[in-house]
Amino acid sequence: MMRAVLAIARKDLTLTLARGGGLVQALLLGLLLLFMFSLSQEVGERMSPQGAAAIFWLASAFCQVLIFNALYGLEEVHGARQGLALLPCPVQAVWIGKALAGLALLLLAQTLFVPATVIFLGQDMSGEWWWALAVLLLADLGMALLGSLLGALSQGQAAKESILSIVLFPLLAPLLLAGIRVGAGLFAGRTAEGVTQWIGVAAAFDALFAAAGLVLFAYIYPGEE
Amino acid sequence: MRGSWTMVCALLAALALGVCQWLVYVYAPVERSMGLVQKIFYLHLPLAWWGLASFFVVFAASIAYLRSRRPWWDQLARAGAEVGLLLAILALVSGAVWARHSWGVWWTWDPRLTTTLVMCFVYAGYLALRGLELPEQRKGTICAVVGIVAFLDVPLVFVSARLWRSIHPAVFAAEGGGLEPEMRLTALVCVASFGLLWLALTALRARQLAVAAHIAHLLMSRHEQDA
Repeated sequence: MMRAVLAIARKDLTLTLARGGGLVQALLLGLLLLFMFSLSQEVGERMSPQGAAAIFWLASAFCQVLIFNALYGLEEVHGARQGLALLPCPVQAVWIGKALAGLALLLLAQTLFVPATVIFLGQDMSGEWWWALAVLLLADLGMALLGSLLGALSQGQAAKESILSIVLFPLLAPLLLAGIRVGAGLFAGRTAEGVTQWIGVAAAFDALFAAAGLVLFAYIYPGEE
Repeated sequence: MRGSWTMVCALLAALALGVCQWLVYVYAPVERSMGLVQKIFYLHLPLAWWGLASFFVVFAASIAYLRSRRPWWDQLARAGAEVGLLLAILALVSGAVWARHSWGVWWTWDPRLTTTLVMCFVYAGYLALRGLELPEQRKGTICAVVGIVAFLDVPLVFVSARLWRSIHPAVFAAEGGGLEPEMRLTALVCVASFGLLWLALTALRARQLAVAAHIAHLLMSRHEQDA
């Protein structure tokens, strides 16, 4: 199964990076959000660390919606989805493969969003970065697992971006809260209060959504043409 | 037969809610610091609890639908989501009135309040999915998956209240909590009475959806015959 997972992830990454369209849109939307929120500050004013962290995660969440729509959109035509479902391996390989590809693309996007947050929102990263990195990885993993599951739900729908957003965003709230609180600590130059508990919350959600995806993905994929 | 127990349940709920009014305004003492506003509690608590129970119904009915593919479970899940969302919104509104009097603000980012609001958004999204133009079986499957995933968020209501600092009162905490015995009895009767109302509402709505589906099926058969 792992070979199939890696093959699907490699295929999705190759197609997305080669075509560029879906990824560029996601990056632009995230950067645009960061820039637009910077307009809320007076000239020379520094945004609060919590505000900056919230905007960073908001940009990441919108970016993730576009990424997973693009990843599931790769098989929209010529019956490619049915072809992928015929792979001689459990159908969950598609879910994990797309989650891996989505995670890689989200991390790539965030390597641009972090400096953009520092520059546009006047932050500096003087806190203990390893806690923030741990929470970022856990939150991104949860976002990728759930994004891959719900991305499969909205495939083929006319208004798939809005459908995915309204279902996905509230479910992601605990992960986003963890990311915001620990990220605010990083920007404020201190360790966030209760950082280990936040890591526990993020890890628990990852485990829940991983289990849910493993059980439920087979019911919704490949769906109908 | 199905309708008769719903009717009995609704009548019992009406009687029990009448008794509740007497308990709330005559039997239970007026709280010293908050005065009459504290009476909102007897409405707020059942709304919050039965709202949560509705979301559990969505979860259980969604699992049953995925296992059996019987439309009845899908209709029950939808009825649970509609009633649950209504009760959760009313719990938030009654909680806001309480918060204004008790804490001086309409809204505060208390973890339990925040998570209840998040649940409202989740189940509103679930109901938005119901409005999609999709074949009934595909829609039922999608909604069942979301209904199950959504309920994974609900335990956070309880976990978050303990993990983060909360100003929410622990009503039935160990050793009697903060309630007088009369208040506790009144609260329990209110919860039970609202339970009867909740049961009647959910069952009635599920039956309504089943009848609507049956009519749609008959109409489709008629069109096919005419064609």
